[in-house]
Amino acid sequence: MMLRPLTAIAAATLVMLTASACHRGEGLDPSKLPENVRADYEVFAHKCSKCHSLARPLSANITDDEQWVLYVNRMRRQPASGISYVDQEAILRFLRYYAAGLRRVQAEKNGNAPVPPHAGQNVPVLTPSVAPAAPAAPTATVDGGGS
Amino acid sequence: MRSARVLVVALATLLAALLALATPASAIERNFAGSAQLDYQFVPTARSAKASPNTFDGFTMEFAGKLAVDFSERVSANMKVCYGCHGFEADMMYFDVRVADELNFRVGRFSPSFGAFNLRHDPANHRLSNKPLPYDMGRMLRMRQWNQGVLPSPFPDNGLEVNGTKWLGASVQFDYAAYAVSGFKSDPKALDIDFKLSRTPAAYYVDDNARPTFGGRMALTFKTSESSDLTLGVSGMYGTYDPNNDQSYAILGGDATLRLDKTSIRAEYLGRRTEFSTSDRTVFKYVVADERGDFSMKHGAYLEVEQGLTPELDLVGRVDGMFRVGNVESASELSRRSSVFRYTLGTAYAIERGLRIKFSTELYEFSDRDALTGRKVELSMHTALAGSF
Repeated sequence: MMLRPLTAIAAATLVMLTASACHRGEGLDPSKLPENVRADYEVFAHKCSKCHSLARPLSANITDDEQWVLYVNRMRRQPASGISYVDQEAILRFLRYYAAGLRRVQAEKNGNAPVPPHAGQNVPVLTPSVAPAAPAAPTATVDGGGS
Repeated sequence: MRSARVLVVALATLLAALLALATPASAIERNFAGSAQLDYQFVPTARSAKASPNTFDGFTMEFAGKLAVDFSERVSANMKVCYGCHGFEADMMYFDVRVADELNFRVGRFSPSFGAFNLRHDPANHRLSNKPLPYDMGRMLRMRQWNQGVLPSPFPDNGLEVNGTKWLGASVQFDYAAYAVSGFKSDPKALDIDFKLSRTPAAYYVDDNARPTFGGRMALTFKTSESSDLTLGVSGMYGTYDPNNDQSYAILGGDATLRLDKTSIRAEYLGRRTEFSTSDRTVFKYVVADERGDFSMKHGAYLEVEQGLTPELDLVGRVDGMFRVGNVESASELSRRSSVFRYTLGTAYAIERGLRIKFSTELYEFSDRDALTGRKVELSMHTALAGSF
């Protein structure tokens, strides 16, 4: 009779031990992000974890800045999203940075770019030439007229 | 029939508007997302009670796949298919046609806007294995005696919703929604809504009466700082559920959600008034009162605190309950006034991005004794693995 709970506890402990050996959390490690991206990432992490896991956007593998604009627009209009136009701009700045990193990793896989210093991690790293401040998706594409 | 015709005309008009607004996008953007949860529920107190089918004691698996398509900045579509205890289910199949942020038309199959929880109903989006009792859909102990929660979530339905959002200044967001959907269903002489008829292949997604259910929601979100906000909302829904349009139901709800950095505090109340037929008084457990004897009230509420302890680990505490007042079927184990309270403590640990393991323990306190064991207090434990992408 005691077998089932003991089995369940043993299985749970095993999973926890395995988990603790490779834990990374749902989001990115802000300390590994460039300083000028951290504030935008914090806005992204706070707003986008209200209704769903951060894995949703971070694993979406979207590399097109224009698609992020449509995506974040759709999220901003969700009821009680708490995402203002100012927040949206910050989120998009981070996502442009993130998408540029994904593009870079893809290019590297295709043999079109040098190997980035953090290859293999999910945190894309940019060289200064493609810094997040670059207006990859201009504010004009954010509907509603901006803040 | 007249209301059905009006609905058809409205849908045709909206379809025409959709086609008119759908100017060719430079590229149609598609995004696929999915989630899954495998849960093991262990109910030590119910084992000897031959709990099944009144209690799940074992593994349950549910998964969902969602496709979002942005045709343009004005038109998008969402399709979500779930698989769980009921087999495959269309959770979403709708178009959004947006005139402005403040005016959006949603047409198709969707969960109408009600309450705060439903937006997070996907198991990958909440930290415990179970939904709050007012929204329970088949996981609570004694679920059949209670006929599940007040409004089992999700509650996809066919119809039309007009919704919108508006920022009032820099720190207040106002949301509204108003909708007409086909509504819940039952057999002609049923004493309560039959939630299974909303998804059973026998009826599929066809309305059982010619009268839509109407409802709406309003919410205000106050941005109190860069890392905190407060949302207050009210919701309501009214319609008839039997084929003859004789029995009505009305659901009212209020919700509050406070986010303070890594802490989320959520509270919600739902109350459902459900009329039933008293034409055959022999089916009832209690003598039917001549006045106010033809309806039941089911109240439900929860208070939940979620605390992020580390980037990987969340701690969740929840107190929820339901209170039902009204006559019941003669065979029911509920009484005229029945209550259930549940106390839950759980953790969720992010093993990897998009993959969480959840543990929780629930203590149930029922006002009525179990017919087989005589228990009022029951225990339940969950271990689950939930993933999303």
